Amino acid sequence: MLGNFGYIGIFLLAAIGFAASTILIPVTLRFLGVVPRKPNPTKYTTYECGMETVGKSWVRFNFRYYFFALLFVVFDIQVVFLYPWAVHFNQLRLFGLVEMLAFVLILLVGFVYAWRKGVLQWK
Amino acid sequence: MNIYLLSPEISLLALALVVILLDLFMDRKWLLGVVSVVGLIVPAAFTVALWGTNQTAFGGALVVDQFSLFFKLFFLVVVALVILSSTDYAHKFAAFRGEYYAILLLATTGMMLMASTRELISIYVALELTGISLYVLTGFLKDDKSSEAGLKYLLLGAVASAVLLYGMALVFGLTGTTHLREIATAISAEGLLSSPALLMGIVLLVAGFGFKIAAVPFQMWVPDVYEGAPTPVTAYLSVASKAAGFAVILRVFYEALGPASLDWGMIFAVIAAITMTVGNVVAIAQSNIKRMLGYSSIAQAGYLMIGLAAASTTGSSALVFFLVCYAFTNLGAFIAIIAISNKIDSDQIADYSGMARRAPLLSLALALCLISLAGIPPTAGFMAKLYIFSAGIDSGLVWLVIIAVINTVIAAYYYLRVVRVIYLGAPLSEERVPSSGALRAALSFACLGVLALGIYPWMVLRIAEVAASMLLP
Repeated sequence: MLGNFGYIGIFLLAAIGFAASTILIPVTLRFLGVVPRKPNPTKYTTYECGMETVGKSWVRFNFRYYFFALLFVVFDIQVVFLYPWAVHFNQLRLFGLVEMLAFVLILLVGFVYAWRKGVLQWK
Repeated sequence: MNIYLLSPEISLLALALVVILLDLFMDRKWLLGVVSVVGLIVPAAFTVALWGTNQTAFGGALVVDQFSLFFKLFFLVVVALVILSSTDYAHKFAAFRGEYYAILLLATTGMMLMASTRELISIYVALELTGISLYVLTGFLKDDKSSEAGLKYLLLGAVASAVLLYGMALVFGLTGTTHLREIATAISAEGLLSSPALLMGIVLLVAGFGFKIAAVPFQMWVPDVYEGAPTPVTAYLSVASKAAGFAVILRVFYEALGPASLDWGMIFAVIAAITMTVGNVVAIAQSNIKRMLGYSSIAQAGYLMIGLAAASTTGSSALVFFLVCYAFTNLGAFIAIIAISNKIDSDQIADYSGMARRAPLLSLALALCLISLAGIPPTAGFMAKLYIFSAGIDSGLVWLVIIAVINTVIAAYYYLRVVRVIYLGAPLSEERVPSSGALRAALSFACLGVLALGIYPWMVLRIAEVAASMLLP
C-alpha cells in the first residue's frame, strides 16, 4: 500500500514541474532576448475572449442571484442523486423508491421554506 | 439491514423538519420552542428502547452499542436544556426563531451520528453536519461581534476539516480501508507501527479533532467565538460539541489506532498538560464572564484529555463520566448567565457585583456551578476530577496528574473570584432579575444534576463504565 504513494509522488513532481516551467519559460526567453518588449495600452487591457472590455470589473451584482444560486445547488444535488437511482430502479425496487421519496421530501421542505420566505418572487 | 437502528436520528431529523414547516405556516411562534422540547421525547424514547443492542448497519459504517446510545441520550438531554434556556434569549432573533430551533436539532442529529459511526468517511460527514450547523448558529445574532465570531469559526473550522481529511487520507492510504476495526487489523498485520507516515496521520488526526475539543494549540477560536455567539449557543458549543469531539476521538483512537496507543497516548498527555495550563493561566486575566468560561472550557478539555492519555478502559470510562459532570456544571453556569445578562445587558464580571441580593437563587446556582467547575466537594466537578486523576495514576501518568492538581488550585482562584464579586460586591442597582419558568426548570435540573453526581455518582459511573467497555474489542 505504501508503494502506491509513489504514484502520487510522481504526480506531485509533474505538477510542480509544470507550474514552475510555464512560469520560467517566458522569463528565460525574455532574459535571452528572444521575446521583444513592445508595450502599448491595448496590450495592457484585460483579456476577455477577444471581446473589447467594457467598464470595470468591480460591478455590483444583484443580491437576488445569490438565492437562485443556492436553489440551483439544491436542484443540482437532487438530479445528481436521482439519475443513478433511475438507472438502477429495477434492482432497488420498493426500498429504493421509499428512500428516494424520503430524500425528495427532505429537499421539498427546503423549497417550501424558500417559497414561503418569498425567494421565488423577483420584486 | 435494520432501519430501526437509525430511529433516533430519523425521528430527530423529522422533528427538525416539522419545526421548520410549523414556523412557516403558524403565527404563534412561542409554540416552536415547546414543540422542539416535547418532540425530543420521541428520539429519546427510541434511544432508551435500543439500549442493550449491539449491532451494525450500512456495511459496518453505523454501530449501535451502549457507547453510542449513551452519547445519543446525552446530546438529547443537553439540547433539551439549551432549548429551554433559549426561551429567555430568543427575542434577540425573533424573526428567525424557527430556524434557530431547527438548526439546533440538526446539529444534534450530526452529533448523534458522530457518536455512532465506525467509518472514517461517515465520521467526516457527521462532523460537517454538526460543524456547518454550529457556524450558522454562532453568527445568529447578526451584530458585528456575532458575525465576526461566525466567520472566524467557519474559516478555522474549514482549515481543521482539511487537516483532518489529510490525516484520514494518510491512514487510508497506509491501511487500504476506512473501517476503524479493519484499520486496527491492518496496522498490526502489516507492521505499520514504526511507519513515520502512520505517525504523521495520527498527528494530523489529533490536530483535526483537537480543534473540535478546543485543545491547545487549536484553541484560538474559542474565546472570540464564545464571546460573540448567542449565549445558549455558547453553552451548546462548550458542552455538546466538545463531547461529540471526545466521542469520536475515543472511537477512532481506541478502535482504529489501538495498536499505536503508546504513540498517541504520549501526544495526548503532552497536549493535556499544555492545554490545562494555558486555559487556566489565561482565564485569570479575563474580565468578560463568557470569555472566562471559554478559557475555563479549554482547561477542562485538558483535564478530559488525561482520560485519553491514560489509554485504558478506566481512562475512557472516567472521561465519559467527566463529560456528564462537566455538561451539567457548564450548562448550569451558562443558563444562569443567560438570565442575568439578559437583565443587565452585559457580560462583564464587574457588572455582576452584588448579584446575590438582586437574584438570590440564580446567584446560588451560578456559585454552585462555579464551585463544581473548580472541583470542590460535594459537587460533580470534584467526583469527575477524582476519577480522571486516579485513572491517570493507574496508567503511570503521575507527572501529568501533579500538573493537573496544580492547575486545579490556579483555577479555584478565578472561579471563586466571580463568586466573591457576586456575594460580597456592592449591588449596582436594586432591580430584581426576572427569568422564565422554562429557564428556571432547566437551571434547577442542571443544579440537581451537579449535586446528585457529587453525592451519589455510582449509578452514572456504572453506566459510563458499560459505555466505555464497548470500545475495546
